[in-house]
Amino acid sequence: MPFVAAVAASHAPNILLEPGAEWDEFMQLHYRMAPQAASSKPSLEAQQKLRRDAEKAYAVLRADLEAARPDVLIVVANDQFVNFFHNNIPTFFVTLADEVKGQFTRHKFHYRNHKELGRAILRAGLESGIDFSFGEYIELQHTQVVPLYFLLPEAKIPILPIYVNTWADPIPTPRRCFQVGEVIRKVADGRKERVAILATGGLSHFPGSPRIGEIDTEFDHKLLEILREGKGRSLADYSVEEICKSGDSEFLNWMVAIGAIGDAKASATFYMPDYVATGWGFVSWKI
Amino acid sequence: MSSYHLNRFLFDLKMNPDALKQAESNLDGALDHYELAPEERDALKAGDPRRLRQLGAHGMLALYIMRLNPEYRSNIYWSQK
Repeated sequence: MPFVAAVAASHAPNILLEPGAEWDEFMQLHYRMAPQAASSKPSLEAQQKLRRDAEKAYAVLRADLEAARPDVLIVVANDQFVNFFHNNIPTFFVTLADEVKGQFTRHKFHYRNHKELGRAILRAGLESGIDFSFGEYIELQHTQVVPLYFLLPEAKIPILPIYVNTWADPIPTPRRCFQVGEVIRKVADGRKERVAILATGGLSHFPGSPRIGEIDTEFDHKLLEILREGKGRSLADYSVEEICKSGDSEFLNWMVAIGAIGDAKASATFYMPDYVATGWGFVSWKI
Repeated sequence: MSSYHLNRFLFDLKMNPDALKQAESNLDGALDHYELAPEERDALKAGDPRRLRQLGAHGMLALYIMRLNPEYRSNIYWSQK
């Protein structure tokens, strides 16, 4: 029973911003890059509904996680120029710190890091052809803490941040990310700890681009349908270009979780486009 | 041409409080620390993230030039990463 649960969730910052003034102030920056995105700006009531719907989705994921009683939560996310820059961008990175911290507006986060599990995954990767990068310090950012705020608000168990470069071209293939997930599953199956995995990001969005505001809801629905059917493995056949043209590069984080769950069917999926930037998606798999 | 230094300046505005402070008080002096093409330097001084992106800045770093714009200086955006 060592691999016990898997969830995937969007990490869009506006999920954790207060509807109204905070959300609107934050989005002003994006509108400077993509002025047309402001034309679909949701009303306060629509923002509040999005927040409530996201909280409901997170509540289902959290209940599933807690029911699986994990001893450690692997968090697969992308760095967005906080820990890594163009002088050195790891394609896959495992955190070997003792503890990890970060802040999001007024919210502070501090978790123990499960570096023993990190070392085991590193070793297993090296032995099976996946040469992870690693390091002993990282700063948590919104890609981890937005979902953790809802899923692991109290640091009851350690986490293990693993990074996928979905952000700076060139990025890895869906197949490679799936294979990383397979390695993680193999290691987890041999551990005494109960291991759960959280993959973050997506779904469709075009951050930092004049295309902000375009959300390919059709492609996102297709992805979620494939996950409900338990056919996530087939997504490893997609090219990077097929994933990216819909603004779903962060789905590569999800591909790692999909590699770990194998052919399990998603037990719950939720989807809510936020009108101005991102298709918020949430999935739980019972293992 | 590589836009490494253009992105580096923007990354430092995001992650290095001392670099931000210097850029706020003396932008020309701050820019002297980076190997920038004349059009990159001009675009940074003009403060338009769309133009920076066209010159090769990563879109999500280009936004950080707005940190020097008095209108956006206290934006909640900067209190998260």
